[in-house]
Amino acid sequence: MRKAIGGALAAALLLLAAGCSGSDDDSGGTTGGGKVELTYWSWAPNMDKVVEGWNAGHPDIHVTVNKQDGGDPAVTKLLTAIKAGSGAPDVMQAEYQKIPTLVSADAIADVAGEAGTLKAKFPDSAWNAVTLGSESVYGIPQDSGPMMFYYRADVFGKLQISPPATWDQYADAARKIHSANRKQYLGTFSANDPGWFAGLAQQAGASWWGVQGDSWTVNINDAATQKVAGYWGGLVQEGVIANTPMYTPDWNAALNDGTQVGWLSAVWAPGVLEGNAASTKGRWKVAALPQWDPAKPAGGNWGGSATSVTTQSKHKKQAVEFITWLNTDPAALKALAGTANIYPAATDATSTALTSPPAFFADQKDFYAIAAEAGKVSNPFTYGPNVNVAYSAYNDAFGKAAEAKQSAAFTGALATMQSTTVSDMKTAGFKVAG
Amino acid sequence: MTTLPAVTPAAERSAVTTAADRPGRGRRRSGTPYAFLAPALMLFTAFLGAPVVYAGYLSVRRVKISGLGLGRSSRVEQWAGLSNYTRVLTDSEFLPSVGRIALYGLIVVPLMLGGALLMALLIDGGRSRAGGFARTAIFLPYAVPAVIASLLWGFLYLPRISPIADVLNSAGLSAPNVFSSSWVLYAVANIAIWGGMGFNMIVLYTALRTIPGELSEAARIDGASDVQIALRIKIPVILPSLIMTFVFSLIATLQVFAEPMTLRPLANTISATWTPLMMVYRDAFIRNDIHAAAATSVVIAVATFALSFGFLKLVGSRAFRQED
Amino acid sequence: MAVATAVAVPVERRNRRSPAATALLLLGAAYCLLPVLWVVIASTKSAGELFSTFTLSPSTHFFDNVASLSDYRGGLYWRWMANTALYAGVGALASAFVSAMAGFALAKYAFPGKSVVFNLILAGVLVPGVILAVPQYLLLAKAGMTNTYWAVLLPSMISPYGIYLCRIFAAAAVPGEVLEAARMDGAGDWHAFARVALPMMRPGLVTVFLFQFVAIWNNFMLPYIMLGDDRLFPVTVGLSGLLNQGATQPAMYTSVVTGALLSVLPLVALFLSLQRYWQVDLAAGAVKA
Repeated sequence: MRKAIGGALAAALLLLAAGCSGSDDDSGGTTGGGKVELTYWSWAPNMDKVVEGWNAGHPDIHVTVNKQDGGDPAVTKLLTAIKAGSGAPDVMQAEYQKIPTLVSADAIADVAGEAGTLKAKFPDSAWNAVTLGSESVYGIPQDSGPMMFYYRADVFGKLQISPPATWDQYADAARKIHSANRKQYLGTFSANDPGWFAGLAQQAGASWWGVQGDSWTVNINDAATQKVAGYWGGLVQEGVIANTPMYTPDWNAALNDGTQVGWLSAVWAPGVLEGNAASTKGRWKVAALPQWDPAKPAGGNWGGSATSVTTQSKHKKQAVEFITWLNTDPAALKALAGTANIYPAATDATSTALTSPPAFFADQKDFYAIAAEAGKVSNPFTYGPNVNVAYSAYNDAFGKAAEAKQSAAFTGALATMQSTTVSDMKTAGFKVAG
Repeated sequence: MTTLPAVTPAAERSAVTTAADRPGRGRRRSGTPYAFLAPALMLFTAFLGAPVVYAGYLSVRRVKISGLGLGRSSRVEQWAGLSNYTRVLTDSEFLPSVGRIALYGLIVVPLMLGGALLMALLIDGGRSRAGGFARTAIFLPYAVPAVIASLLWGFLYLPRISPIADVLNSAGLSAPNVFSSSWVLYAVANIAIWGGMGFNMIVLYTALRTIPGELSEAARIDGASDVQIALRIKIPVILPSLIMTFVFSLIATLQVFAEPMTLRPLANTISATWTPLMMVYRDAFIRNDIHAAAATSVVIAVATFALSFGFLKLVGSRAFRQED
Repeated sequence: MAVATAVAVPVERRNRRSPAATALLLLGAAYCLLPVLWVVIASTKSAGELFSTFTLSPSTHFFDNVASLSDYRGGLYWRWMANTALYAGVGALASAFVSAMAGFALAKYAFPGKSVVFNLILAGVLVPGVILAVPQYLLLAKAGMTNTYWAVLLPSMISPYGIYLCRIFAAAAVPGEVLEAARMDGAGDWHAFARVALPMMRPGLVTVFLFQFVAIWNNFMLPYIMLGDDRLFPVTVGLSGLLNQGATQPAMYTSVVTGALLSVLPLVALFLSLQRYWQVDLAAGAVKA
């Protein structure tokens, strides 16, 4: 027994020594010979393999990827590190909606001097997200998430429904599917996914924040968002759409066993479906998002992120060099799309890197054509400096509404979101108009 | 953390030093005890004392933003007085979360300790061959971290996956949705009970074993039933142990965090401010308002002290008493 | 209550078997084992089966699941396990030693400031870890120690509760006469502690070690906040990350389930093999097996 404990202790101490020396070279800084070490926090899968392509060709600037759990934990850690004055990486994957928060906390640097000329390579909506409409540039767009509608072609075929072109048709399809089989739903209203709801509001023409002179405006409770909330509240109250959150084991089971037969998602959905509902391969198809007004097609985004340089980086110039390569170099774009499984934001990515459909949708040759079309019609949408507050208010308020299954509670939840967001901004000292 | 062990009172009694045992008596170099304490005090100061003081400091500061808040100079840290405290205490989510915790404690503490006491008495009574097996099985959950325990129960709670729902459905009953607003509190409480019962059982069982066998034997000869023996002899003797397990369960209740946090993504009914500690988490990490988080932390810490010491005073326990 | 039906039968002889007692005990055991049974069965299922076959019917994919878990980012899971062993093992060992010294001093010496120190430590028992995590981070960041093994190890080494327990153990298990005798023989204070008191306190120290082991193993917030590099994660933080990959990635349920099972196994083994130490009779300061 004592020997065993002793052995374990010795092994542990060895590990400790190895680990500590190992982590030293992660901490960034210059080693002998002018070689620059950069750390990059990202949650995209296989990003380390994408970065290998850079490291092979750039012996002077070595990039180490630290895999993060996702957008929220990464931002949490970055903000804590900024507050503490040390511990931040040089380069950071940042979701578009977090950029105002990060800028406001002085966490990410303005790289307009180094990267201002890249504007032409990206769609306006993505470029606007990294500039916040100003002269500054707070990162280079990495990926985007135009929303699309995924559905089970076999179920639609059996019931002789065609993919809905409008939201009215979507509601009809939902009713038809649910009345044919009481266990089946065309979708679910997820109170745990504010990004999803924001994308749908964006499509309807909402822009939740805005800048007027030197003050912010907050328009979460506007007519467009009211329309979206009322629409979903109605479907949930009617009982033809489920009210449970996405991304739970239960939801996965529902995708697998065919009780969820549709998903309003974004261009990255095939990866999620393949991972969580592999048994349904070949039965899904994708279509454009249903429209409010087919004469004026509009789109929304769910997900998407930029690569930014943090204010704690001591090697801004080299860091910008790296993120420029990552998001514009054809080889890097190919690796991002093929290896890291993301939909690059750069406009020429569709033609160079995305030539064949994702494996899970092998039969749908026009997959990326639909995605490109969806990306083009995205409405402009501005995020504010306290998106986290608004989003957590969304979780709580819409959670209650979804549980109550009352349409009025859905539109009421928007008022709660609006007032929580505004009062948080005012308490912090932001100037808010209106 | 769901459980903190309680110390059996027997130890307390014997810990009372006898005259011969009386330490030191000024005979030694006076630096010695400090040297022994030095590592503990250094670590205590660095990782408990300083953070607590720092939290107190943060709770009376605030960050003031001006204008759009986008420039480096638009952010100033300043003195806040007690404004963070008034903000926290008047937050419309704060009192409901305190009420929820009180209700949660009313469910968890009696059920967990009642179950632990029942199992300990049954094992100690020696009326079943299953005692040894049950003791191991019931203790097993203590080895499962709260995050993993919540994850496992989370799966078991979901109607499409739960074997319990399968059984109920095949019996023609409809399984309740455990994440609905009327059940969710019990769903979280169940995980805490599951994780904590075994440990408390071991503590109480250990205390029961210190009771001399003759005591029960004599009562039995006088015609007392097992239940009477349990109620009149065993429980009074281990009462101090029960009190200590109660206090530590109470502290754990006030600190419930990991279970609802892990279940939250599965349900509509667990809000970001479901418990006071979740509110701390929300303020610190979601709202990026470390000052409000610090103020809530201080409030929770003070309440914990008041409750646990108040209770010990009330029952007159000398569990935390020093022997000199 | 249930007790009444269980043991209310008046009996003359001890050890008469009671079916009701057996039934209640088995019920308690079944309740505690149900999630364990579930995770054992679930870990044998493939990703498709996990959500489609009957919950309690086992399958044959256990080794496939272990293999795919081991493949994740070049065997990162096993590194998490090693990290956990390091954090909990070394942290608890150091904590037991530090606590032993402090507890010994508090039990066996009189000195000015003793009650202040003791009360401070008692107060420390009540402070929740979630509250400490942020200020601890800010302070450790000033020392440049975040995102290293030290960031998790050092705060884990202090256990107010361990000190409290050690004080009781030292008072109960180490008779003053023995120390006195050692001193008469010319032993120094350190010698009296290390060679005389420490061995006598050993069973209690195993208990303190186990308590702290569990506490570190259970503490999610501290490593979650301190560590940015997932190669330093303990297994709980790692698994939680696998589960919450963010909207654009599928959650890795089979890996999470299999990983949860494998991570709990060593601890269960440790607990069962050291079960007797959980029954330390604190009164005698010795182990009753």
